[in-house]
Amino acid sequence: MATIKLDRLVKRYGQATVVHGIDLSIQDGEFVVLVGPSGCGKSTTLRMIAGLEEISGGEIRIDGRVVNDLQPKDRNIAMVFQNYAIYPHMTVADNIAFGLYRSKLSKSEKRQRVEQVAGTLGLSQLLDRRPSALSGGQRQRVAIGRAMVRDPAAFLFDEPLSNLDAQLRTQMRIEIKRLHHRLGTTSVFVTHDQVEAMTMADRIVVMRDGRILQVGTPLELYERPVDIFTARFIGSPTMNLLPASLKEGRADLSGGSSVKIPSLSSSSSEILIGVRPQDLALGLSTGMPGFSISGTVVVVEPLGSETLVHIESSDQTVIGSAPGRQIPKIGEPMTLHAPAERLYYFDKVTEKALAAQ
Amino acid sequence: MSATAQQEAAPGGLWSRISLGQKQVIWAWGFLAAPLLFYVIIRFWPTFQAFYLSVTDWTLTKPASFVGFENYQRLFNDPLFWQVFRNTFMYLILGTPISLLISFVVAYYLDRVRFMHSFIRALYFLPFLTTAAAMAWVWRWFYQPVPIGVINDVLASFGIPQQPFLRSTSQALPAVLAPAVWAGLGFQVIIFLAGLRAIPVTYYEAARIDGLSEGAILRRITLPLLKPTLVFLVVFSSIGFLRIFDQVYNINTNDPGGPLNSTKPLVLMIYQTAFSSYEMGYAAAQTVVLFMILLVISLVQLRLMRDR
Repeated sequence: MATIKLDRLVKRYGQATVVHGIDLSIQDGEFVVLVGPSGCGKSTTLRMIAGLEEISGGEIRIDGRVVNDLQPKDRNIAMVFQNYAIYPHMTVADNIAFGLYRSKLSKSEKRQRVEQVAGTLGLSQLLDRRPSALSGGQRQRVAIGRAMVRDPAAFLFDEPLSNLDAQLRTQMRIEIKRLHHRLGTTSVFVTHDQVEAMTMADRIVVMRDGRILQVGTPLELYERPVDIFTARFIGSPTMNLLPASLKEGRADLSGGSSVKIPSLSSSSSEILIGVRPQDLALGLSTGMPGFSISGTVVVVEPLGSETLVHIESSDQTVIGSAPGRQIPKIGEPMTLHAPAERLYYFDKVTEKALAAQ
Repeated sequence: MSATAQQEAAPGGLWSRISLGQKQVIWAWGFLAAPLLFYVIIRFWPTFQAFYLSVTDWTLTKPASFVGFENYQRLFNDPLFWQVFRNTFMYLILGTPISLLISFVVAYYLDRVRFMHSFIRALYFLPFLTTAAAMAWVWRWFYQPVPIGVINDVLASFGIPQQPFLRSTSQALPAVLAPAVWAGLGFQVIIFLAGLRAIPVTYYEAARIDGLSEGAILRRITLPLLKPTLVFLVVFSSIGFLRIFDQVYNINTNDPGGPLNSTKPLVLMIYQTAFSSYEMGYAAAQTVVLFMILLVISLVQLRLMRDR
């Protein structure tokens, strides 16, 4: 159990700076997910916390103690890797016991701990097997077991679910979440998958190009993205962004329609209106206040619970949603509506979110 | 007209009647036939011929006649054979572990060197490409007395007495072995490096987080994961040392086999029996014995080192 604090953390490889002085404070027992596209510095940041990468500048504190120059083994952290990093020449029991390599417990106490952890993870029947005789999900659980057995101050997960197939990934996601709920150990989880981030995190850290863009709970990020990147990154399918120009309290869209909007803290008159496909619905009566857009249906994605409708309106494709059992025909003209309070506004130049005044 | 058309269709018909799987088999065997025939004629047939010759008294000049196990009896009663047998095993017992140990240490550290990595690797590989004859000559000079011999020069500068090396019955064999080990080193280093590279980096990172020391990582992770590489190199280099010939032959061209046959390996004995004494039947019997030794040693090593 520990807090982790990053203070102006920098990582350089020669001339290239990959992490630009980030600040982050992780509370005791918190599950924080670092998310971002590949190359955004999230894995590097995690590896610096682990001590596998040297720090070029700034400070890392684990439980208040500066660990900049400590060896990984002296930081009392445990890490789970994408390729599991469990040893093929050892049994499951030996692999889990490897986490206790440095502990001074007696042999029988170690055995007891291993069995206890294996019980928690449902590996009791598999203790004598070699990793080659395990499925991907079981291997990942062994890797988690090795991390758990030591009772570390923090868990570091480096894209641990990326090598699993989609169904197993969903299952392991829930297992890790439940495990965290039970153990309450501070966890830092790196992923490029926004669904993983949304479903698992207490707080999400969105990173891009070695900088932190936004930190917040999943709903905060969904409701109040600070810029276009976060707005598009969080939520599936991606938020629609429609260019519009401001004129006397109204925004004129390129297609000719216009919408009444609140006054914005914007200096420029060119903005982007964001609307999530889930909010842009079919079948509401016209004449309702808010935003509406018309076009022809080009793609229909029936998902069962809802149907995603892609319509083409004056050279741009907009995704909206229809109720699950309603499947529009391709080529059909269609109008989609969104309530005014569900719209997002961004400055077209700075790409920052604009607050309603 | 219709008759010729039918005739033309017939061969095509036969080929098209065959299923796709059968066609693939025919093609595969068509391509395999060339190397297979080559091996049967160049390799396997002479091997079986050697087994036959070993029970005859063929001497090139007179036709072969069947003599039963006479050649083998003669061989086992020949004190030279037992001397040669001991020498051959000395090459194996000294050469394999020494060369593997050195090449592993070189590979283990070279793996961490980034600076001029390829160049250093190439330097180690160079002796493997050099002809044994040229190399043996150079080493022969090394072993000369002062002022020609470099090694004795160095020894003398430290005040250590002159060593006879190739002219001593006790030092000649290790002196012949040294260039042989050196020559094979490059190959073994390359194979070890490839084996080391194949171990995922995260294994080491996970071990560092778990707090293993360098020695423990080597013992608990690197070596066990390197086992397939190790098995290959042990078997491969054992066969190499059991078949040692050109190093020995070239380093003492005026007296191949060293003083009192102290460096003579089995292959050299076979060579001399066959091409100096022309006793082909006797030489064939020696070849069969060598074959058996190689077979037994390789099988024993494979069994011992296989996953338990």
